[in-house]
Amino acid sequence: MNVDLSCYGGRIADTADLVGDCDLRSPTEVYAWVRLEWEAMAAVLGFTQQFAANLPSRAAISPMAALQAAGIAAYAASLRHTAKQSENQARTQSAVLQQMVATGRERGELWRVSVDPTTLPTGACYEDQGQAIRAFYPDTAPGYFGEGWDGPRPRAESACGWQTPLVLHLGAFPWVYSSRLDATGPGMRWVSASAQPAVLGLQLAASLMEPATNLRQDARQVAAIFHHFDTHTQPLLARLPVFQSGRAEAGRLYRRGGFLYVHQGSLHVAALDGPRGQLPAPAYNHILRRFACFFAIRRATLRALSSLPASVQELAMTSTDPCLREQATAIRRAG
Amino acid sequence: MSSRNTWIGLGTALGVTGLAGGALLYSRRASAAQGPVLSGAPDPGTAPGSDFLPLPTAADVKGDLSRNWGEIPFDLRALLLLMEEASQIPGSGRVFGVIAYRESRYVTTAHNGNAANEEDERDGSRRAYKNNKDRNPALRFGDQAAEFGSGGLFGALAPYFLWTGVPEVGAKAPLLNAPPEIVFQPRAASFGAAVYMQRILKHYRVDDIADIKAGWANPSFLTTGRGSESYKNVRSRFIADVEAVGIDLNDATIPAKLNASAWPGVPAVFARLVGKGLV
Repeated sequence: MNVDLSCYGGRIADTADLVGDCDLRSPTEVYAWVRLEWEAMAAVLGFTQQFAANLPSRAAISPMAALQAAGIAAYAASLRHTAKQSENQARTQSAVLQQMVATGRERGELWRVSVDPTTLPTGACYEDQGQAIRAFYPDTAPGYFGEGWDGPRPRAESACGWQTPLVLHLGAFPWVYSSRLDATGPGMRWVSASAQPAVLGLQLAASLMEPATNLRQDARQVAAIFHHFDTHTQPLLARLPVFQSGRAEAGRLYRRGGFLYVHQGSLHVAALDGPRGQLPAPAYNHILRRFACFFAIRRATLRALSSLPASVQELAMTSTDPCLREQATAIRRAG
Repeated sequence: MSSRNTWIGLGTALGVTGLAGGALLYSRRASAAQGPVLSGAPDPGTAPGSDFLPLPTAADVKGDLSRNWGEIPFDLRALLLLMEEASQIPGSGRVFGVIAYRESRYVTTAHNGNAANEEDERDGSRRAYKNNKDRNPALRFGDQAAEFGSGGLFGALAPYFLWTGVPEVGAKAPLLNAPPEIVFQPRAASFGAAVYMQRILKHYRVDDIADIKAGWANPSFLTTGRGSESYKNVRSRFIADVEAVGIDLNDATIPAKLNASAWPGVPAVFARLVGKGLV
């Protein structure tokens, strides 16, 4: 049966096509697809060597699980050498993230989690030289992921001055803030000597490539964020030439295969300048790829639904997302 | 030929501002886009240097690309480490990374000489060409090199860059027939920089890592100019750059003094860094 993603809006299927199809019934295909996606993440986030060293066997019983574990371990290993935050901040971030992930799972909103910070461990504050400091950036201004969010505002008084909700776009980790897309994803800095909340962040983002986690996520939320991102980035991309092999100029920024590419130069010093601020090229590629992966796996999961465990089928049948329910019902009818 | 005469002036500070956006990349390309094609690549539809090997990746190097690389862009680290491995100067990769920060802010097409306020750089390349052309092999694009100024990842002054390797291999130096725009090719620029570092280490008294940058700015700082205000200023800027980039000079990845005694020679370094794409 043909799976149709158009219920999530235009350009979703085209975006999913950027990362190609994957037949979840074929361990060989799953291995190749997931490996490629981890390699892409590793290239942008700087753990290519660690991932190559950790690569599991193609004969792994569950290629998806094996590659996910290898990718996370590789990322964790690469962070041993990065700049360290204070222990207090990192520990607070870890505790907060765990709580936010639990909340997000419950709501089916893992991609973007928005909570009242005063309900979180330590009120999402940490202590630094006797002062209470916010553990995360208060990201509620209009940005590339949306127009900003009002609620839930803090109901209690915040010891560190939270006056806005805490909003994290964990699906785009490490570029978790809509209005602050630095060249280095802000989540990359969530590391101290003994705590690595950054690893939890990437684990969550990568988990959206797993069929069950993917189905638990309300795709309508992801689609809405994607359409906003797409609307604000397409005019910027339209100004760029399309890469043509043999005709490219050194150092120039191109569009290639839907992503940004610098010929004979560093992508990491290139950026798009738009009304919503500067958008670093690696951030654009990584974020677009996260959207593409999400919808590619959603499509692949629906295509393979009848061969997946009953618990996974049940997730689709009972989802609050009408689009997903309808597709799952039609698949079941088609047998 | 005196190495000092040939190399003096290579790598003067570029004054590139800020990390690049798309617009900056374009502005850096503006003058380079007009350059002639490489010898051996006369197809009018082919951009200069389009047949170069792509930037190296993690698979092309043996060393570690995570430890003590600070904020050096991930996608340039393999090139910098390849320079270290090709030149067999242990610890040089991170030092090249700090130098590139100062010289180009990691924009491979950084160019000084194409703007109205960059007369100094054009004067520098004119002087370099005029004063040295009679004692060096001819440059096929000598006049263009003289007018070019400096550029590329490591801020090379065009005539000196194109004469890279002449003291070692004479008329067989690999860039003699290339246009100056080839300095925008990071592999070619890295070849020039590797040779230059080796020459500084081999021919001058280099007391510490910061002395390399002093010699990079002007080799006379390592002889008659040692201890001068300019020498001190270059060293201070380098130390500030080290901090800005986030490199730990005391880390085990960088020896206290770099050593070029295992230098394999210009042809070997050229083959490893540039390959066959050029001549």
